Amino acid sequence: MSSNNSKASARAQKVADERAAQARRETRRRILTIVGVVAAMALIVGGAITVSLLNKKDVKAAPAGSSEYGVTIGDADAPHTVIIYEDFLCPYCGALEAETRDDLERLAADGKVLVEYRPFDLLSPSFGDYPIRAASAFALLLEESGPEVAKKFHDLLFENQPSEQDPDSVSDDDLVAFAVEAGAEEAVVREGIEGVSHRDWVEAATAEAKDADVQGTPTVILDGEVFEDGRTVQDVADNLVKALD
Amino acid sequence: MNRTLAWVGLLARLVTGGVWIVAGALKITEPDASIAAVRAYQLLPSSLAEAVGLALPAVEVVIGLALVLGVLARGAAVLSAVLFLAFVIGIASVWARGIEIDCGCFGGGGADPGASSAYPWEIARDVALLAASVLVAALRRTPLALDSLLFVRRPVPAAGAPEGAEN
Repeated sequence: MSSNNSKASARAQKVADERAAQARRETRRRILTIVGVVAAMALIVGGAITVSLLNKKDVKAAPAGSSEYGVTIGDADAPHTVIIYEDFLCPYCGALEAETRDDLERLAADGKVLVEYRPFDLLSPSFGDYPIRAASAFALLLEESGPEVAKKFHDLLFENQPSEQDPDSVSDDDLVAFAVEAGAEEAVVREGIEGVSHRDWVEAATAEAKDADVQGTPTVILDGEVFEDGRTVQDVADNLVKALD
Repeated sequence: MNRTLAWVGLLARLVTGGVWIVAGALKITEPDASIAAVRAYQLLPSSLAEAVGLALPAVEVVIGLALVLGVLARGAAVLSAVLFLAFVIGIASVWARGIEIDCGCFGGGGADPGASSAYPWEIARDVALLAASVLVAALRRTPLALDSLLFVRRPVPAAGAPEGAEN
């Protein structure tokens, strides 16, 4: 009787052991499957990120002061250089201008930075020809009245920037008035502003920006590297000034 | 499991997964636009925005593949729901702050005047996809999922079964 009992319990034990072993094998297989699938997913994520990185374009801007399509302030041998690609209609460019102009002018005057503003036409495909009219007028002043007048005109354009919804609220007469305020002679510039005399210059400036892989405006380049340190335009402006001071 | 609900779950899985694959694939080859789109929300610090802009499209594609194929579908559905919730919060946040941007959901992104008129519809779309993701996660298994092949439940002999009855 007792031997029968122990036989039965041994058999039950054996069955239980087998079941436990099979459950372990099953768990192991499950875990290995999950690990395999997750590893495959990680590989795909890694591969996709690699594709993204290979497609990433670095801005290759000509050094500050070397472009034909900009106006500079400051010393050519200042320790830092800043290039700002901008469109006269782009609201963030206007915001960046408002946040940085005084500081950049001060730092340039102190010999700490060479700043080059490079206007081009990014937005005319979406918002009409204001970016072309404004940049052409800027180029005309640069040629006829010199860089100081052109810089002042550039400042006035941003101070009186129209909205993207209504870019034609700044008329050619307004552009002439800004030019005169900046120090140009009306007789010299009126015809050119009304006739968009420097359309070719704007196209060439735009082509140069595209060739440099400038993706949007404003694009700020500090000492040859794109500067994007900050959450908002205001942060970027503050951090830029801090980096130069 | 309710049969109709199971097939609704399959539909939810395929639609959500398909949306992820398209959304991610459109952005993988345009990393600069993707990074700019993340920056435009003005929520993340610069370096984090760059990392998210690079990684998010890749993650989207993998979540989409997992959902469409039904591989670890439940986990993918949970991640999908979390991401849609984050997107809803992101869009609501730019809307509340009066920032007008292209959501960058399917490529593009950045400043876009007049974009706020699209925000309600974008939020509605993401909420619908969030609900679909939650449904897939809640159902555990939906039909036609690779999970059913990968994780077959092998019959384990019942306790105390007489010998010989195992096979």
